[in-house]
Amino acid sequence: MQRKHLGRLGMVASIAAASLTLSVVAVSSQATAAPKKLVGIAFDLGGKEQPGFNQLAYIGFKTFLKTHPGWSEKDLQGNAADTDASRAQRLQLLISAGANPIVVVGYSYENALKEVAAKNPNVKFSIVDDNIDGAANVEGLLFHAEEGSYLVGMAAALTTKTKSVGFIGGVNIPLIQAFEAGFKAGVAKVDPTIKYQSAYASNPPDFSGFNAPDKGHESALGMYQNGADVVYSAAGSTGQGAHKAAFELGKGHWSIGVDADEALYASNAKYKSAILTSALKNVDVGVASFLSDVVANKFTAGAHFFDASNGGVGFTTTGNHLSAAIIAKLNTIKYSLASGAIVVPTDPSKVKLPQG
Amino acid sequence: MKNSLANRLWKIITSPSRMMLTVGAVIIMISLVRQYTGISDITSPGAAGATIRFTIPILMAGLGGLWAERSGVINIGLEGMMILGTWFGAWFGFLYGPWVGIFAGAIGGALAGILHAILTVRIGIDQAVSGLAINLLGMGTARFLSGVFFLGKGGDINISPQVNSIGTFTVPGLSPFLTEIGSKHILVISDVAGVCAGFITKINWASLVLILALPLTAWILWKTRFGLRMRFCGENPVAAESLGVNVYRTRYIALAVSGALAGLGGAYISVISTGNYLEGQTAGRGYIGLAAVIFGNWTPAGVLAGSVLFGLTDALRVRQSTSVHALLLVVITLALAYGVSKLRKKDWKGFIIGVVIGGVVLAYYLINKVVPDEFVTFFPNLTTILVLAFLSQRLRPPAMAGAPYRKGEESS
Repeated sequence: MQRKHLGRLGMVASIAAASLTLSVVAVSSQATAAPKKLVGIAFDLGGKEQPGFNQLAYIGFKTFLKTHPGWSEKDLQGNAADTDASRAQRLQLLISAGANPIVVVGYSYENALKEVAAKNPNVKFSIVDDNIDGAANVEGLLFHAEEGSYLVGMAAALTTKTKSVGFIGGVNIPLIQAFEAGFKAGVAKVDPTIKYQSAYASNPPDFSGFNAPDKGHESALGMYQNGADVVYSAAGSTGQGAHKAAFELGKGHWSIGVDADEALYASNAKYKSAILTSALKNVDVGVASFLSDVVANKFTAGAHFFDASNGGVGFTTTGNHLSAAIIAKLNTIKYSLASGAIVVPTDPSKVKLPQG
Repeated sequence: MKNSLANRLWKIITSPSRMMLTVGAVIIMISLVRQYTGISDITSPGAAGATIRFTIPILMAGLGGLWAERSGVINIGLEGMMILGTWFGAWFGFLYGPWVGIFAGAIGGALAGILHAILTVRIGIDQAVSGLAINLLGMGTARFLSGVFFLGKGGDINISPQVNSIGTFTVPGLSPFLTEIGSKHILVISDVAGVCAGFITKINWASLVLILALPLTAWILWKTRFGLRMRFCGENPVAAESLGVNVYRTRYIALAVSGALAGLGGAYISVISTGNYLEGQTAGRGYIGLAAVIFGNWTPAGVLAGSVLFGLTDALRVRQSTSVHALLLVVITLALAYGVSKLRKKDWKGFIIGVVIGGVVLAYYLINKVVPDEFVTFFPNLTTILVLAFLSQRLRPPAMAGAPYRKGEESS
């Protein structure tokens, strides 16, 4: 008798709970449906005002805001202690604030976004450097970074006096290997007898290699001491150490930056005389195109590629360290890349150069 | 069998004449490998210099762990103390110059060390829990402070403005002379000269000052009255108290020094290695310092050996991945030599083990051109585990490290 009574009570309670959940769902879907004109952005590790990956995304984001009055923004920053759960929470926070569309910066959000996007089919997302297969509300912004790396690879090969160059990758993952492949191919295109060294600062699942200037410093010192005079770092903050090494060794030692114009970074201010050029990955172009697509109702889910043909990649000439002849040469190559006359590999083992 | 192996290893390691012989043999072997493979970076001055720079932060953390554990308190919070060291080092370094920064890093670490002491010694919170709390606190505090102080000063929420660098010194005359010999590729002589040149070429003044912490620690802990009492507190706090040692005060001092050392390691990373604070740049080196303490059997020299093991692996790996591949030849030779030495004593099992290990590594060496980076990074950790597994009978941690102690109570 007692048990039966309890059972009934339990049933009542569960029905009450279910209806409560239903009403909560109803309320929250109402909140997101309200046209609030709010765009959200979730950043990867690193400051949004510090030149780099995040800042570029932020620039694209602000370009959109400027050209679309009436829209406001909400941004949240990542930190070194982030987990998939905390990233998902961050996205959920943006959604509950009413943000739609939302820009997600960095493939580190992949798992979090997979989960959150499935739960919120009405919100449009874009993820930089990644694509989520099968998600109908996610646009992947992918960059043919190997093309930018190809350009600076040629710049390195045309600049080296010792006929020896080096590459430092942040973490040994396919994304970064594509940078190496492009760089290597660019070097080989100019002179296949140039000696080549490469190193990665860390291996997955250890992602500290994007954040280890001390390792970048020693790695670059090693390459310079073993004969290289140009080193390209596709390694986030780790590259700062490579610039430092080139600067310390002085004239005739060059370092190449990545993603944004590294010669403009406050943290590289001291070393900018050693930064030959930077391989650009114009994340701002991708972000701005996603946002205006959404507003114009032209959103399409899936991978969108940015390369030399649509201003997605390039190289910088800050400091005038590249000669006019080299710049002219690189610009013609850029056209060949855009037209598809040159196809750059993404697997570094496909390009053969002598070990330095 | 296992025990005899451990015994034998121990004898080799401890007997001075044998140790000299072993070290000599290893040097000759490395030299031969260098000559044979033509990969000269293994014993280059540059690799030696990089090893020093990678070793110092780990050594500082390790010495910090040594101080704490010798006084009877386990310090898992080293990582958090290092993080505070990186932050304080960079911020005060930016304001008042690098030397002040390094000093401030020590203060920052020491503050966290004192907090650890209050929590564990005074309040009696579990030492592991308190340590973990300090790691989280260190991370959070650094981020919070960055947001408050760095924004608008050329920094950001995760990065500080640039700190001026500290100069380096090179022993004039001797350094170029040794470097010259090192580049001649003469068997053994060039290798020794190359490594020695690395020790006296472009050494940061801060490296030199921080390394002094090692002999200083050894001297204080084993040659002074305070050191004796501190180790006593780690072995048997109840007895120490009954003999008039103030255990609480001793542990407070030990943990403050422990934190200061870890903070120095952190400040070295931010001020010297990088030139600015960067969130997450310690990358777990506080924990590696703890591993070095265990590897080193709670002795200063052992901690140094452990730190060098980690530092050297990193240095060789990031400079030239081919170096590590070449060093496989040393492993092969050692394994085969072990097997052959067993054969003489008709110990077939030992012979087979040696030859099989040597053979497998040799096959690997011949088939592959590089050692996977994953393995290389893991190698020092593996060595630490092996040391724990095979020499655990010989390891002598302080008897009461980690045990709670309340004044006036019997030990549990």
